[in-house]
Amino acid sequence: MAKTIAVIFGGKSAEHDVSIITAHIPIIDSLLASGQFDVWPVYIAKGGSWYADKVMNDLAFFKQPDWEEKVARMKKVGLLFDSGLKLSWGGMFGKTVSIDIVFPSMHGTYGEDGSLMGLLRMAGVPFVGCDIFASAVAMDKVLTKQVVAAEGMPVAPYVWFTKSEWEKNRAAILARAKMLSMPLFVKPVHLGSSIGMAKVKSEKELENAIEVALHYDDKVLVENAIEPLLEITLPIMGNDKPRTAQCERPLNKTEFFDFKDKYLSEGKKGGGGGANVGYSEVPAKIGDELTTKIKEMGKRVYKTLGCAGLARVDFLVKDDTKEIFVNEVNTLPGSLYHHNWKKAGVSNMELVLGLVRLAEERFGNEKGTSYTFQSDILRKVGGPKAQE
Amino acid sequence: MTRWLSRRHPRYIRSIVYMLQASEYSIRDFFRWHERVEDFRHVEKRKRLDFTLKATLLYVSGWLATFFALAAAVLVFLNVGTPWNYVLSALIVLEIPLIVLLGVLVVLTALRFIQVPIEWFAMEQARRRLTVHKGIKIAIAGSFGKTSTREILRAVLSEGKKVAAPSGSHNTPLAIAAFVRSLKGDEDVLIFELGEYYPGDVRKLARTIRPDWGIITGVNEAHLEKFKSLQVTTDTIFELAEFVDPTQLYINGENELARNRRKHGNVLYSREGASTWQVSGLTSDLTGTRFTLSNDVSTFNVKSRLLGLHMAGPLVAAADIGLRLGLTVAEFERGIGKTKPFAHRLEPRQWEDGVTFLDDSYNGNPDGVRAVIEFLASLSGRRFYTTPGLVETGARIKEVHEAIGTELAKAGIEKVVLIKNSVTPHIEAGLKNTACKGEILWYDDMPSALSALRASSLPGDIILVQNDWPDQYA
Repeated sequence: MAKTIAVIFGGKSAEHDVSIITAHIPIIDSLLASGQFDVWPVYIAKGGSWYADKVMNDLAFFKQPDWEEKVARMKKVGLLFDSGLKLSWGGMFGKTVSIDIVFPSMHGTYGEDGSLMGLLRMAGVPFVGCDIFASAVAMDKVLTKQVVAAEGMPVAPYVWFTKSEWEKNRAAILARAKMLSMPLFVKPVHLGSSIGMAKVKSEKELENAIEVALHYDDKVLVENAIEPLLEITLPIMGNDKPRTAQCERPLNKTEFFDFKDKYLSEGKKGGGGGANVGYSEVPAKIGDELTTKIKEMGKRVYKTLGCAGLARVDFLVKDDTKEIFVNEVNTLPGSLYHHNWKKAGVSNMELVLGLVRLAEERFGNEKGTSYTFQSDILRKVGGPKAQE
Repeated sequence: MTRWLSRRHPRYIRSIVYMLQASEYSIRDFFRWHERVEDFRHVEKRKRLDFTLKATLLYVSGWLATFFALAAAVLVFLNVGTPWNYVLSALIVLEIPLIVLLGVLVVLTALRFIQVPIEWFAMEQARRRLTVHKGIKIAIAGSFGKTSTREILRAVLSEGKKVAAPSGSHNTPLAIAAFVRSLKGDEDVLIFELGEYYPGDVRKLARTIRPDWGIITGVNEAHLEKFKSLQVTTDTIFELAEFVDPTQLYINGENELARNRRKHGNVLYSREGASTWQVSGLTSDLTGTRFTLSNDVSTFNVKSRLLGLHMAGPLVAAADIGLRLGLTVAEFERGIGKTKPFAHRLEPRQWEDGVTFLDDSYNGNPDGVRAVIEFLASLSGRRFYTTPGLVETGARIKEVHEAIGTELAKAGIEKVVLIKNSVTPHIEAGLKNTACKGEILWYDDMPSALSALRASSLPGDIILVQNDWPDQYA
């Protein structure tokens, strides 16, 4: 009997639309093509309402000019956590669908940041990809750097601060930033897809860039721009024994790898038809030695953060000295970076079904863990011992 | 239940008209299909109903039958003075699909009676126009490869002549008559495809056209259900020979049945050459086909974008006809260079992820299948051969399909993708009997197979789709 799988996408995130593409290419397309699953697309609107209707299994639905109005007319779906996860539609003709496994396909806030994973853990349903802890750490670029550096891996010099700190003591923060050497990158800490990010070459630009970044996030990272820069990104898959795809070199059109480069570029080199068609060199022509070093460091980062299922580790390489710096970790790369996996000999179907298997494996392993234990504390509360 | 309900859906009328049109208005084929349909709301999967005059008349008659039936039901309900009026009225409403079907078929039968004199008149008019037309007439007959040969001839001869030929696969009397009506009279060469479904079809068309030149592309099991035997098929196709000077009749020498019927003076063409022309250095890959053409006087290197070694024969035949009709060597070289794959006939496409997709979905005959497997065998990369098998192979269904399996196994194709139906188990048997080393994958239908192939392919893979069945067979 076919397993019922829910693919959850959309959400309250700047990467809402990218999430819809990832959900379909390659996730839903491959799940449907495999013939092994009853696929339920679960869409979270920008306002936070949840909808599930199989018409949304077709990406063409989201290309209609009035798709948002059509979604708004659908009956909202609720979640039940009764013996696993169930989708439930109320009303006279209401129904309930039990979900065997969930494939999260949400980028950014309220999804990739661990929020959704927390919900799914509460439901006790297996889900694909990184768990709440790795997701939450990877979502915070500063936390990632702190964890990675603590394990002795190199990161670019940086400073960070919160919005309230900036508002209270702008001069002190600028002074700390001056300790770094121009040019600098200014990044909102929790956002992906390079949204709100800027490269600055002067103090005036720095202030402006910080203001922009704080418009998107309440925590900001300022770090040295590595120059001459070679960006390398590495998709990794697995639980205890991660395997790497190909080292990939983004071919930037702008000074840094921005949203337009990632999702709207019309080049041909990357290929793949997903959220990130055509902007990179795969495999990166960086020589065997550097490739091996990056792949080994990528696996260390993956395990250090406790990633599972899939992630992508990004590196900054100083091109003249070949010094490697860990930049950030993305726990749900756009369209799962299927174009890269294909170059590594993993088809879309193998990738998606492989991730489902890994999720089931992790869920099976966790079943042996006890999260509760018997105690008599309730019986004794209010007694002489408790009052001491 | 779905079938019962869908017959009472308003879409049923459009669906039966589409089914009749797709079955080329063959009542027998229509009823075979009608019996199999589970859901009449979804029969237009690969094509859409083309509202020709005939289809429109049938569609309107279907709706008229519905309205008359409903009116009758209301009248009976209101006016018949016994309790049975309610039962009779309900029966009429319930049997509206049957009334609609009968209404459409009655109109179709009536149209046939009307069509006979119309067709005769149209063909007679075409015959008179062609008698005075000064253009050279070339007729192509055969179980397969007619459209490809026509397009090759068109491309080659167009370099020095003004050429006209019907578009698409228009090879019926009315389609040919319509094409003749569209001629301006100043054309140098007219090319006709002669369709054959029953004995006498080719003779009837050839009598109208009076061709100066003829090409017989071959004889095989295509339409065998209608012809019953290959002998009858061969006789029908060779009706063309009655109308053409033997020295101007070209016969595909790679097809055994056609080759065995050649007569003195006929020109055999094949990948080895035609007439005085010899082919050497023949190669074919995903970019096209190359060879050297030489005779006692001249030698030329030619390149076509058509795929497959089997394309060399028709190319050489076209070149020879062209030279005999007065084309210069430069013109025929240029003409061959302009030949390119035709839609859905070994047509290569590159998917954006580096996968090569070969669309051979209109090729549904055993000779074409053999040629394509030969081509696929010559390519490197992981190869997927996808097919639902062939239709209308009559009593030779098992033999033809087992042979396909054997050819695939010998070619070492890595992935054989079969669509579940009554014929593909024979392909599987052929594969297994020949110790196939490749993997056999099964899918319910072609769309499912294509979705799965898209999802499971890798850069460098070659995916070939052979003979996607029309809706009436799928």
